[in-house]
Amino acid sequence: MEKLIKELEYRRVEQQTRRHFLRNCGFGLGALGLGSLLGSCDSGASKTAQVAGGKVPHFRPTAKRVIYIHMAGAPSQLELFDYKPELVKYDGVDCPAEFLEGKKFAFIQGVPKMLGPQGKFKQFGESGAWMSDYVPYMHDLADDLTFIKSMHTDQFNHAPAQLLMHTGGARLGRPSLGAWAAYGLGSENNNLPGFIVLTSGGKQPDAGKSIWGSGFLPSVYQGVQCRTGGDPVLYVSDPNGISRDMRKNTIEAINEINRQTYEQVQDPEILTRISQYEMAFRMQMSVPEVMDVSKEPQYIRDMYGVKPGEGSFALNCLLARKLIENDVRFVQLFDWGWDGHGTSAADNVGGGLHEKCRQTDQPVAALLQDLKMRGLLEDTLVVWGGEFGRTPMQENRNGLVMPYMGRDHHLDAFTVWMAGGGVKKGFTHGETDELGYYGVKDRVHVHDLQATILHLMGFDHERFTYPFQGRNFRLTDTEGKVVKSILA
Amino acid sequence: MRKSIFIAFGAGILLVSYFSWDGIFGSKVDYNAEVKPILNKHCIGCHGGVKKAGDVSFLFEEDMLQPGKSGKPAVVRGNAHASEMIRRIETSDPDDRMPKNAEPLAQEDVDILKRWIDQGATWERHWAYKKVDRPELPSLRNLSNLFGLLDLNTSSWPQNAIDYFVLDRLRKEGLSPSEKADKATLIRRVSLDLTGLPPTPQQVADFVADDSDDAYERLVDGLLAAPSFGERWAAMWMDLARYADTKGYEKDGPRNIWRYRDYVVKAFNADKPFDTFTIEQLAGDLLPAESANLPSRENLVATGFHRNTMNNDEGGTVDEEFRVAAQIDRVNTTWEVWTGTTFACVQCHSHPYDPISHEEYYKYMAFFNNTRDEDVPTESPALRIYPSDDSLRVQEVLSWIEGHDAGVKKEFAEFLYVMEPKVNSHDFDSLVNATMIDGKYLGLKQSSSARLKRVTLTGKTSLMLSVSTGAEGPTLQVRTGAVDGPVRAQVRLTKPCRDSVLILPMSPQDGKHDLYFTMTSPKTPDRWVQIKWVSFQQPLPGAQEPGYEQVLRQYVSLVAKRVEEMPILWDGKGDLARKTHVFERGNWLVKGPEVQPGVPGLFPDLPAEAPKNRLGMAQWLVSRNHPLTARVIVNRFWEQIFGYGIVETVEDFGSQGSPPTHQQLLDWLAVSFMEDDGWSVKTLLKRIVLSATYQQSSQTNQEQLEKDPYNYWLSRGPRVRLSAEQVRDQALAISGLLSKKMYGPSVMPPQPDGIWQSPYSGERWLLSEGEDRYRRALYTYWKRTSPYPSMTTFDAPSREFCQSRRIRTNTPLQALVTLNDPVYMEASERLATLMNQKGKTPREQLKEGYQLLTFQPIEEQSLKVLEKVYHQALTAYRKNPAEVDSILVYGATKTPELAALSVSANVMLNLDTVVTKE
Repeated sequence: MEKLIKELEYRRVEQQTRRHFLRNCGFGLGALGLGSLLGSCDSGASKTAQVAGGKVPHFRPTAKRVIYIHMAGAPSQLELFDYKPELVKYDGVDCPAEFLEGKKFAFIQGVPKMLGPQGKFKQFGESGAWMSDYVPYMHDLADDLTFIKSMHTDQFNHAPAQLLMHTGGARLGRPSLGAWAAYGLGSENNNLPGFIVLTSGGKQPDAGKSIWGSGFLPSVYQGVQCRTGGDPVLYVSDPNGISRDMRKNTIEAINEINRQTYEQVQDPEILTRISQYEMAFRMQMSVPEVMDVSKEPQYIRDMYGVKPGEGSFALNCLLARKLIENDVRFVQLFDWGWDGHGTSAADNVGGGLHEKCRQTDQPVAALLQDLKMRGLLEDTLVVWGGEFGRTPMQENRNGLVMPYMGRDHHLDAFTVWMAGGGVKKGFTHGETDELGYYGVKDRVHVHDLQATILHLMGFDHERFTYPFQGRNFRLTDTEGKVVKSILA
Repeated sequence: MRKSIFIAFGAGILLVSYFSWDGIFGSKVDYNAEVKPILNKHCIGCHGGVKKAGDVSFLFEEDMLQPGKSGKPAVVRGNAHASEMIRRIETSDPDDRMPKNAEPLAQEDVDILKRWIDQGATWERHWAYKKVDRPELPSLRNLSNLFGLLDLNTSSWPQNAIDYFVLDRLRKEGLSPSEKADKATLIRRVSLDLTGLPPTPQQVADFVADDSDDAYERLVDGLLAAPSFGERWAAMWMDLARYADTKGYEKDGPRNIWRYRDYVVKAFNADKPFDTFTIEQLAGDLLPAESANLPSRENLVATGFHRNTMNNDEGGTVDEEFRVAAQIDRVNTTWEVWTGTTFACVQCHSHPYDPISHEEYYKYMAFFNNTRDEDVPTESPALRIYPSDDSLRVQEVLSWIEGHDAGVKKEFAEFLYVMEPKVNSHDFDSLVNATMIDGKYLGLKQSSSARLKRVTLTGKTSLMLSVSTGAEGPTLQVRTGAVDGPVRAQVRLTKPCRDSVLILPMSPQDGKHDLYFTMTSPKTPDRWVQIKWVSFQQPLPGAQEPGYEQVLRQYVSLVAKRVEEMPILWDGKGDLARKTHVFERGNWLVKGPEVQPGVPGLFPDLPAEAPKNRLGMAQWLVSRNHPLTARVIVNRFWEQIFGYGIVETVEDFGSQGSPPTHQQLLDWLAVSFMEDDGWSVKTLLKRIVLSATYQQSSQTNQEQLEKDPYNYWLSRGPRVRLSAEQVRDQALAISGLLSKKMYGPSVMPPQPDGIWQSPYSGERWLLSEGEDRYRRALYTYWKRTSPYPSMTTFDAPSREFCQSRRIRTNTPLQALVTLNDPVYMEASERLATLMNQKGKTPREQLKEGYQLLTFQPIEEQSLKVLEKVYHQALTAYRKNPAEVDSILVYGATKTPELAALSVSANVMLNLDTVVTKE
């Protein structure tokens, strides 16, 4: 069976567009492939062919598209969403021994002191969700969100934890969530990749491109990073001195000669190549178009807080909406700079975190509002979170007092929220203890979150596998349970 | 069994069928072909290596004969009726029926199982696990010949043994070989295959003009001897070795290991026998010493193969976890590369489909597990490459030692060149007021201590250690037994220092002792003293002699000297030898029983004379009796030439892999590779490319597409897209840009800005200068978390793990690279300049350009298309001359004509015939 699947997949990738081309051009060599990748069909009719031919979801998806917002470095749940009044009382008190026994932290050594929440919390909406003054724009959306407050992970370093979050394994080499989505569902837009990645914050996430890589899946499923500086997709712009018309002429010439070659040597691969060049030409138009926000009305740009000519998280949020609107399957946002250890003015849970929130709170809220306004939130899942949480204790790196208020990496408790795409509105799942150290109710592991996201996309995570090195691999490895209570 | 033979005969097809006697009287069931697939598909998921539901398993022969939970054996030989397996398959009771919760087996499958059991349930090894024997060449005088139907053309077709097997198969499939490819196509094909580069126009002209019988063979010999041969095959080997210039994981910092890549290039060029090549890479460090009491530098560099595993430098990571991950990767990679066996699954449980047990995985891992690398940032052990003057100073020290106590020279030589044995400071425990600085190295300060457990001190009266500190005058003491035990060594650090090496005398003591390192540092109590490693050594001999002090100083300064280092394999001895345990369910934290090195029982034993270590294991892999290695390796080379392997799943020869399309051919090639050719890769490749099979035209016709769409039966020559490396190298070569420079550190050709954004590291893509911008793709700097973009677009893996097969895709992103990447624009302009020199009229120039790229005359209708696009461009550039300066940026000539030619060259570089090996 493994062999069969592998071969099927192999053929499918090799011939992704040949099938479409053959059908549309009436060569009639038959349908060979299954799903589609960078969109292999260009008519409404062939869209059906994709759905029919794609990996048939195991059940009806409630999330047709996903926007996953990852705050790389791991934001502090204790300053934003997980309100712990008890922790206020214990501020500055030595951490109880039972919290430290048998635990290992990235930087905390000896006995650290507890650190009270730095934000001011209130309840919002009918659901009464707690949120701090770090995220004022989110207050209005309280009744649209599902919070999972009892998240936990196995990894307390950034790269492995990010890998675990996005690929289901802490080491390099596995396909990312978006790649699984592209593999399973294909793209619905023939001019844009099915899995697009946007980054902000000045740096790539710690785990690098591997967290949007295709791992052992064929390379076509990897996330395509669209950049807000330079070419939005590598080499999508015509070189200097080659105009659009000229590019059109050249691609026509290439395809015409290739067609002549096909007549002679009959290799069907040539037909694929012809259609890929056509697609490349369309992408040259559609990618810059979708990445250009100048035609968005001013009030929309203001709503997100987009500043002209500046790459930013706000811009990425607006782009995410545009990409989703254009039927891109999976949009992954990474924003770097959330690692609030307390070592510098930027890297702490006081002013530093406040500043990160100032950059991101408004755009995230705008994205949700915008999706709602356009009726897209119904079948678009938005996920927000980091790779782990932060300790209720103040960090004391190398046993010393830190210059700023900071918290160390923490794997036993953190908060993720979701909206749209078939999750409950105004709902909170799970709970941490009084000090926010450990999930005490309905704990959700990273693999459970992944199982749930796949479920929302219509896949049974246990049956959604790919054979590699003699094993059927799945995103959730050998674990994972769908968090049923958050499903709408 | 019913066999059919299709024979192509003129326009019609004649079907000849015959029945064997077996077929008429109920044939003997073929376990591998008929039974094993049913077991794999329907049974072994629950009754195999992963689960053993009801204590029933079909993984090993003895398993199926054992009584299960029910007390009844699944299979009773010779009696299907009494076999529980059959009863459970045939029962109508839904609770009892197998396979559980699934469709019942098809009646024909049930019949096969019943007949198989009735015939004695013979268990047979999977074909690939049987010793490989040389098969007979198929006779061309077979049944069809008796009927007088032999196609006269094909009887004279075979050029060598390969063709007999291929022809035999073609006939069975009702196909016939294609005609020979024309000479220009053939020279381009064979040049790209053997050297990764297109031929020069002169080579093509010479070959086309050469009518002698051995012209092709001489051409092949020339290509096999070209330096570019080694580069082309090294490019393949780099994926298998998961070679990269960075360490991987979060930090993904640089790694100096290019000498290993150069070793591979040289090995292929020298036609180093593949068995030697194997042994050197897996165990070069265990080969006999040559100069200076060490194995040769070449042999040590070769072990870089398994130092291409990733190394995690992130603070706070547990070194042991990633050390183990590297070991596991070595095991999995070795099995995949040499034996085409999926072994990763056995890490957690017995193999789901093939008879290999969980414990056997760890026995095998024990061969590797004794190496000294421990995921430390220095990546030690590393081979130190001293510049020549330091080399002389090393020799001075070693000759002093030889003159005073030759017996200890080896130990000192090893320390000078490999810096082993030493204890990495992450081994310290019982830290009091001490810390692991950045989670990596021991830090001591005022009133702190740390313990090193159970150190053998017999004969070791010299303590060497690496320290860094900014503290003022801290004193380090080393005590035995307890924090306040007797002081064995002590030193006061008078100056701040960074990675300084100290050597201290230790008072003699025999036996194993716990050592406590304590520190007093009253002046600067908060300043750390960092210790990277410590080493317990014999004293440098000749202490009483004049000049001793100076030699000792020279020894320490050489050890402290920063010189080029390259990670290698090196085994631990004594205290540093490591035990290997089974990891329960693959979890490195849950250790099961200890195991000794050994190979799985499915395979032959280690050769009698082989040592029970990594070296013996390497010798075992390339022993004549090993059933897999030669088959797997021959198949890899075949795949590179033909686009598909004889076993298509080059990475899996097990019962879940693809069956071979030509098993006898594979076996024949494997045996000749070992017995006739002495594992010579060049001889193997020569045999393949001299075959008539290889020399066929790759043009396809409707009949071939219907009967053999993927060319499994080789009814035509290979036609596949060039690899990532070849696409780039070809464009540079034809436009005259390619540098012939070989070897050395990896280079950084132009890539778009902003590709590299590593957190925390200051590394930058520093654009290479001069000819280094135009080196072969093999030499491009490979960063694991951010590989060179156009390489990955053309299907290169990231090289985090060994990936044996690049799945060829055909995507618009590839089109964008060859259309718009400045590398290809530069090649277009250079090519346009060449075209301009070679032809007078645009028509001539375009013809020349096409000829330069494909070595074929252009068809008139294609030329018309090129002329049209040329004139469109020319008109545009004449209308808008400013654009001429935009497109022509590399040369001095800037005319609308050259600009239009450059656009035409860009078109040609994107043609299917150019990016495809035909």
